[in-house]
Amino acid sequence: MNANVGVFAVSCTREHSTGAKTLQRERQLNQFLAEVERRALRIAEIAVRDRDEALDLVQDAMIKLARNYAERPGEEWAPLFYRILQNGVRDWHRRQKVKNRVMVWFGRGRPADDEYDVVANAPDPAGRSPDDVLQNHEAMQRLEVSIHELPGRQREAFMLRTFEGLDVAGTAVAMGCSEGSVKTHYSRAVHALRDKLGEHWQ
Amino acid sequence: MNDPGKNEQIANQAKELFDDSVERLDAATLSRLNQGRHKALAELDHSGPSVPWLRWAPAAGVAAAAVVTVIVMRGPQVDDFGPVTASDFEMLLEEDSFEMFEDLEFYAVLDAVDAEANGDVG
Repeated sequence: MNANVGVFAVSCTREHSTGAKTLQRERQLNQFLAEVERRALRIAEIAVRDRDEALDLVQDAMIKLARNYAERPGEEWAPLFYRILQNGVRDWHRRQKVKNRVMVWFGRGRPADDEYDVVANAPDPAGRSPDDVLQNHEAMQRLEVSIHELPGRQREAFMLRTFEGLDVAGTAVAMGCSEGSVKTHYSRAVHALRDKLGEHWQ
Repeated sequence: MNDPGKNEQIANQAKELFDDSVERLDAATLSRLNQGRHKALAELDHSGPSVPWLRWAPAAGVAAAAVVTVIVMRGPQVDDFGPVTASDFEMLLEEDSFEMFEDLEFYAVLDAVDAEANGDVG
């Protein structure tokens, strides 16, 4: 009888410990995702030029991270999350290419890039003079267009290093390439942006 | 071209603009992000047991149930239809073979008629 009670007590303690561990992991993951989600959304949005699509991509990346990598150490989450997101963005571009080819085949022209509605997708102003907001908004639009025009790998390297602040090693994991490649892509991206934005930014 | 100061300046300016745009995301977008995050966290509750082999438990259960079902269904009826012949396989390979399972008695009668015609009965 006593032995049974003992086994039950051990079992309860183990379950309690597992439950507490799960709860802690959930809290940590929630904190990580809350920190990263807004920047991730803007990074995806710059890459695909569509907020709804970007929201879907970020949500998919969050779900895949939780489903497959929640058990991994917290410091690995950022590169893994961005790797999932970048894969999603690449898949999105592939699907768009196929879609555009089909549209052309059926006689409907490729949707122009400038169909992206800048005003509808503009963030809400928050306590700043309209002139400041407009100026920043225009500069950001120029930057977005310039980044969007970069080759895919350069765009990824630049956004992950500059916007997300990943180090070279983390960016290499996120992009699935060597650290040397990251440095090359990043350097080329910055030079290209200097050429494109130089006249506006100097 | 390779001026590190200029490059850093471009990166810093881009980062400032980017952070500003992040800060000004509208409430509807933030709400959708929040919903997405909670959907992701819900995955943790359904991510299954931490013992790796137990992940296969549902699939193994379904497979075991399927095996038991087949054994029960085949059971004593197998002998009623006599030995399996080449023509049985031909019938199974036909496109409408799945429909055959719905009318097994009919095919049993057909088999018996064939056997009678061949003089196997008696």
